[in-house]
Amino acid sequence: MPMTDVFLKVGLNHYLFLSALLFTVGMLGVLLRKNVIVILMSIELMLNAVNITFIAFNRFQQPEQYNGQVMVFFVMTIAAAEAAVGLALAVMIFKKFKQVNIRFFEHLKG
Amino acid sequence: MLALSDYIFYFLAFTAFFSACSVILVQNPIYSALFLASTMVAVAAIFVSLDAGFVAGVQLIVYAGAVMVLFVMVLMLFDLKHDLDAFSPGILSGAFKLASVGVILGLIMGSIYMSADMVFNSQVTPIPATLDPVRGLATTLFGNYLFAFEVIGALLLVIAIGAVTLSRVRGGTHAND
Amino acid sequence: MQNAPLIFAILLGAPLAGFLFNGLRFKSKNYLLAGTVATAASAISFLCSIVLVWSISGGVTGSDGGEGGAAQVGANFFEWLSVGGFRADAAFVVDHISAIMILVITGVGTLIHLFSIGYMSHDERPTKYFSYLNLFLFNMLLLVLGDNLLVMFVGWEGVGLCSYLLIGFWFSDQAKAAAGMKAFVTNRIGDAGFLLGIFMLFITFGSVQFSEIIARAPSIAEVGWNGPLTLACLFLFIGACGKSAQIPLYVWLPDAMAGPTPVSALIHAATMVTAGVYMIVRLHPVFLMAPNALHVVAIIGALTALFAATIGIAQNDIKKVLAYSTVSQLGYMFLACGVGAFNAAIFHLMTHAFFKALMFLGSGSVIHAMHEEQDIRKMGGLKKYMPITHFTFVIGWLAIIGLPPFAGFFSKDEILWQSLSSPLGHPLLYLVGLVAAGCTAFYMTRLVALTFWGKSRFGHDVHPHESPPSMTIPLIVLAGLSAFGGWLGFPAIFHLPNFLEHWFEGSIKMLPPNEQLGFLEGPLMGVSVVVAGTMAFIAYRIYIYSPKISEEFTKKFKGLYHLVLDKYRIDELYEKTLIRPLVEASRGLWAYVDVNFIDKLTYVIGDAVRGTGSTLKTLQNGNLQQYALYISLGVACFIFYIMRL
Repeated sequence: MPMTDVFLKVGLNHYLFLSALLFTVGMLGVLLRKNVIVILMSIELMLNAVNITFIAFNRFQQPEQYNGQVMVFFVMTIAAAEAAVGLALAVMIFKKFKQVNIRFFEHLKG
Repeated sequence: MLALSDYIFYFLAFTAFFSACSVILVQNPIYSALFLASTMVAVAAIFVSLDAGFVAGVQLIVYAGAVMVLFVMVLMLFDLKHDLDAFSPGILSGAFKLASVGVILGLIMGSIYMSADMVFNSQVTPIPATLDPVRGLATTLFGNYLFAFEVIGALLLVIAIGAVTLSRVRGGTHAND
Repeated sequence: MQNAPLIFAILLGAPLAGFLFNGLRFKSKNYLLAGTVATAASAISFLCSIVLVWSISGGVTGSDGGEGGAAQVGANFFEWLSVGGFRADAAFVVDHISAIMILVITGVGTLIHLFSIGYMSHDERPTKYFSYLNLFLFNMLLLVLGDNLLVMFVGWEGVGLCSYLLIGFWFSDQAKAAAGMKAFVTNRIGDAGFLLGIFMLFITFGSVQFSEIIARAPSIAEVGWNGPLTLACLFLFIGACGKSAQIPLYVWLPDAMAGPTPVSALIHAATMVTAGVYMIVRLHPVFLMAPNALHVVAIIGALTALFAATIGIAQNDIKKVLAYSTVSQLGYMFLACGVGAFNAAIFHLMTHAFFKALMFLGSGSVIHAMHEEQDIRKMGGLKKYMPITHFTFVIGWLAIIGLPPFAGFFSKDEILWQSLSSPLGHPLLYLVGLVAAGCTAFYMTRLVALTFWGKSRFGHDVHPHESPPSMTIPLIVLAGLSAFGGWLGFPAIFHLPNFLEHWFEGSIKMLPPNEQLGFLEGPLMGVSVVVAGTMAFIAYRIYIYSPKISEEFTKKFKGLYHLVLDKYRIDELYEKTLIRPLVEASRGLWAYVDVNFIDKLTYVIGDAVRGTGSTLKTLQNGNLQQYALYISLGVACFIFYIMRL
């Protein structure tokens, strides 16, 4: 019991592991989904995972200071702004092409 | 012996993970959006369990409250009845993608394990009660990170203008009707 | 002398300034301005030469040199090259040998510049011509005044360049341009030898400065053929052959007559072609240490003298006759060097400059008057139309065939005497020289007779006239020098002072005079006079009174005549054995090696790059998710790398 307790007792690396999982899930969403909006949502998921990492480090390594939380502030701000712009772009593209399938946007072909 | 907080963590972690997987796995994008909102709530709860209450609140307000609403609004704009299969075609490329992401996950986990002596001994230490989280956060934010804060503000302004410019239609919204 | 650097600077700078002044205005047709500037520059150089020579002569001519005057005067302008043990400065020096040279070069040069003003008055590009002439003068002075082999070589190359520019001056004529190219290429072959000689001298003596080389020349003569000094001297002699038109590199000189006649007078009679002789005289202590090399020099010189003289007998172009005569006389100068009579070589150089320049200018006057006709079979009887030209030309003729008391007699006779009596001499050399002298008398008399005497053979549409004073004054001056210039070097038996022998006393090593054969000197002098006079008389009789004899001779010995007329077909021989194989080889190399291998190599490289590019292009298919895949792969590698650290 004490042996498994070492692994089951929640510590920093559990939070990090969770963050890694959420990050990779988000990455999979970016790579695998066809819908542009879902891709943007997966990017938001990745950013959330990163936020968890910051807060976890802040709590476990520097509990008296707030550097991690300030970083989360900034990340959140940027993420929201980027979501807004991305969605504006998606709306414009849909108005023009009537498609949200990313396969139709191969204009970077060279 | 596991404490209550551990169980709470495991519950929240599982919820977050399950919601995240559902985001990428379900067909209907509206469902994806809803699951994403659920993920964000779970993450906010995790923040609370890490004694970052203020940030949890901000997360809920900004992410779950504003960003997800925006997503759902945009999804509503699209008429997606004739929907497509959700995933990009190509078994081989799909396998490559899974493999590469799996490699990354493995590497990150390996790196966490390799720095285990740092994290092994770090357990939750109680926070002194005299600490005022909001005041401390404000002091740090407007003290050490003042410049970054101002820059973020300018960035937000630029984003707002940019978003409006991007979606502008000459002659107004009803010009093409 | 205090102001030596200044005088040197003016001496060298005047022609250079003339070159720049005329060169920058090369399109101008104002021949008077160009010619005056050029002649003035040359005259300034002449005055500076006089000043320098005066300073080393002690102020009094005829005194035993060394007292009251320095042995040489020099100026070092700047340190040009100094690498390890090798050092060459931009330094110039006038000593007793180069004193004669610079007086001849600038003096005769000024006269020729003056002549050119009249001669080029109707030319298309007179200013360019005068700029080239000044450039030539500058380079020739560099050659003669340099105190080390490197400066001399710069001048050597420079005069080669100017020779090319001036020979091919009327370059719109393909043949004339080709003649210029031929001169340059042949010169270059000689220059390769010259360079090898310089290298060997540097290896042996550790310096290229003349004074140091001469000081270090060992006092033990080399025997055998593979000593370093012998090799060095042979290489240097190859260079001299190229520049001074000896066998086998003489072929450019007759073709060089394509240039304007004053050019032939200056470059190919008086100055440039004598550079080889000067170089050997300069380095005579080294040559004296390699007697085998000197034997080669003497033999080649004698052979060339005879060979060219025989060709000259059959030529019909007035300038070609004079060209082969120049080659022949240069052979005499090398013969003199080869038997150790270096002062005789310089003496003959000087007198030859006088009378050959005189005759070239005279022929220029004739060509001008005959409206560019150069074939002597179409001339004749010009005596009454061009009295001054005729008179001066006759003086030159008498000088070259060696009749006393004119200049050529004293210098040529000295050479013939030394070729027999010197320790390095041989009776065979004397014989060859005597026969060549006879041929010289014959063909020169033929030339004068066909050109000036007898009946006129030109049509009624040609009206020859005497040339303007700008052209006749130089002729008169040169005639005076040809007449009296030989009096500088009376042989001992005349019991008259030998100025040149005294002048060269400190500078040139004289070989001991031959006591046994000393009695022959007078009689042999008489022999050569008799031979020359007889051949001249024969030629006079044939060509004035009985021209049929020469016609029958050419008919009877048609093969021989045509062989000689075609200059023994040496040019054709070179063409067949040397030039054609080289051209074919290079063409073969181009067609096969260059096209197939080198070009293919570049194409292969180009195609490889292009192929790689098009292969990599398939990666960019516009699929955003594939791009994201590549990014994630890169991230994986990056994390891996970080973890390894």
